[in-house]
Amino acid sequence: MQVDFAAKELTLKLVYYGPALSGKTTNLRAIHWLGTSKACGELMTLETKNDRTLFFDMLPITVDSESDLKVRFKLFTVPGQVMHDATRRLVLQAADGVAFIADSQRSEADANRESFLNLKRNLEESGMDPRRMPIIIQFNKRDLADVRSDEELAALASKSREPIYRAVATRGFGVMQTLIGLIRESWNNLEEQHHLEERFGLEPTRFIHEVEANFRHRSRRTGG
Amino acid sequence: MMRDEISGADILLGDVHRLEDVVSHDSITRVAKSFFGLFGLPIRVISGEGDLLADVHRDQPLCSYLNTSNDGAAKCGATVATVRDLEPKSDAIVHPCFSGAVYRVVPLDYQRRRIGRFIMGPYVPSSSNGPPATLLSVAGDVDPTRLRDHYMQMPRVRADIADQLCEHLKGVIELLVFSGHRALLASTMQVASARENYRELAEKNEALQESYEELKQLDKLKSTFLATVSHELRTPLTSIIGYAEMLESGAAGVLNDGQTEYLQTIRGKADELLGLVSSLLDLGRLEAENLELEKEAVDPRSLLAGVASTIVPFANRRGVTLEVSVADTTPRVWGDPIRLRQIVVNLADNAVKFTEAGGTVTLAARPSELEVSGPSGLGASLFADTRPAVVLEVRDTGIGIAEDQVAHVFDAFYQVDGGTTRSHGGAGLGLSIVKQLVDGHEGTIEVTSKLGEGTLVSVTLPAADDDG
Repeated sequence: MQVDFAAKELTLKLVYYGPALSGKTTNLRAIHWLGTSKACGELMTLETKNDRTLFFDMLPITVDSESDLKVRFKLFTVPGQVMHDATRRLVLQAADGVAFIADSQRSEADANRESFLNLKRNLEESGMDPRRMPIIIQFNKRDLADVRSDEELAALASKSREPIYRAVATRGFGVMQTLIGLIRESWNNLEEQHHLEERFGLEPTRFIHEVEANFRHRSRRTGG
Repeated sequence: MMRDEISGADILLGDVHRLEDVVSHDSITRVAKSFFGLFGLPIRVISGEGDLLADVHRDQPLCSYLNTSNDGAAKCGATVATVRDLEPKSDAIVHPCFSGAVYRVVPLDYQRRRIGRFIMGPYVPSSSNGPPATLLSVAGDVDPTRLRDHYMQMPRVRADIADQLCEHLKGVIELLVFSGHRALLASTMQVASARENYRELAEKNEALQESYEELKQLDKLKSTFLATVSHELRTPLTSIIGYAEMLESGAAGVLNDGQTEYLQTIRGKADELLGLVSSLLDLGRLEAENLELEKEAVDPRSLLAGVASTIVPFANRRGVTLEVSVADTTPRVWGDPIRLRQIVVNLADNAVKFTEAGGTVTLAARPSELEVSGPSGLGASLFADTRPAVVLEVRDTGIGIAEDQVAHVFDAFYQVDGGTTRSHGGAGLGLSIVKQLVDGHEGTIEVTSKLGEGTLVSVTLPAADDDG
């Protein structure tokens, strides 16, 4: 988190992590497409010619809160391919929250697990405690065949420490819920650590409603 | 200015605070020039901190003429100064000039941060009906007719078109900033990633180097242990053999047939054991690089003949034919005669061992050349040199070695196939010692084999100088 008292700005860094081709960039694209132009800035992508993320993607989101404080969220994706581990570590530095985008297909279960262990290891190597990092999990690609069933996910969710979301990012379903969920988890964590309400007069529940309001009209239209 | 340096805790949260950090003056000026060329409208781009980044205009005849009068020049100066300092909040400001022209001041934003502004103008709104009174009342020696003429020559733009033009230019400059920021982040990330990769590799290299040193120590310890143990084993073995020989010779009284047979078995097995212990000792010495070679010119004919006479009884017992063939022009070998003999005996013994009855083992020698290695790779052909050499060949028609096993035959204790080795005896040390001995002679050894057809081992050794 960065605080700019002069500009009355708070900047949070949120990172979309996950195995290669699980839909991290697609999530950001969908947010950019669904979000209001007032809130969402330009989506910056740094990719190779075959659409694989090279360094990261970045989407800035700005929310004007009632308390006169401007809150900015910078959404980043990491490159999923195994060889880009150093880049993943760099993008992860100073993250305030992580959305882990998992591929729902049964065949990808190993890749999900491996990437999650990689996330844990990279957090530790960057001096962050994985147990104290707000993490949510999105099971993406719900529209594909041979995916874990909703019942299975519900069973997993009941045992999971991390909140679980379902999504079809290519159609925009579930991406906004995931984003709001990520912001909520991250904000609550920062509230605990930095007492934002006390310092900036931002009551967490009300703030999350404000964030939701920034996206509301178009989210409703697409049913996402 | 980017708030964070590369080495900072987070290289990616850095924002663009100044236009000029991500877009060069030159790029902005080129865009402004192109705009001016197309529409004839002056453009000034000003950074967030008030610095003039681009200024593309041509003095309008009206402005030049006004500047000839003190009053006009003062009014012009005041307007320009005011316009330059105007900072629009969110929308463009249209600022009127006393001359009837207007300036548009348009904010430039990036990621909802103000990074600068640009000024388009002066131009006359096309809705204007003629020069205003404020222009015609300029004091001093000015001619109202000329003022009116010059006024009519000013560029005229409709308000909605001016809006669109400004939106367009704003979009172009903001896109330049976006691209510049993207390039800046990519290059920063590239450098940081390279640094992170280097750090990681350096750590791994250090760990590898440490374990390599440890392994080297262990290997040395093993070789020393091997040499010491072999040496200690040899002393009591020599006594066992000696006493068995004495008993056999009747030194302690006449033996019956059974006793003689048992003693012969004891001696045979003890000899075998001594051979194995000697091999271990050799290997230990070779690995500890303690082997001393006493090199001289060795005649390949007598070398091979000597070996053949040693091996012949064994070959005869197995029904294997032994042949020797030495080419006439074969020079003498530069080597230690005892070690050379050990090399060929080991190979010949192996060949006979792995050849079935009716097969043939051939010991051959012929002249050759040995490459004296220069630096490998680029230009190797310029550096490589050859010296005269002798190839000693041991060829058999035996069981052969599978292709994927050939590379391992020189490993100590390696057995191509446990079953085979056990049925043929031996500890798998012979070829390993041969390899070490050949290396000690600065020679090369090569094995070619085909399963079921036989094996050819070629040892190339330097020729003695006087025979070269």
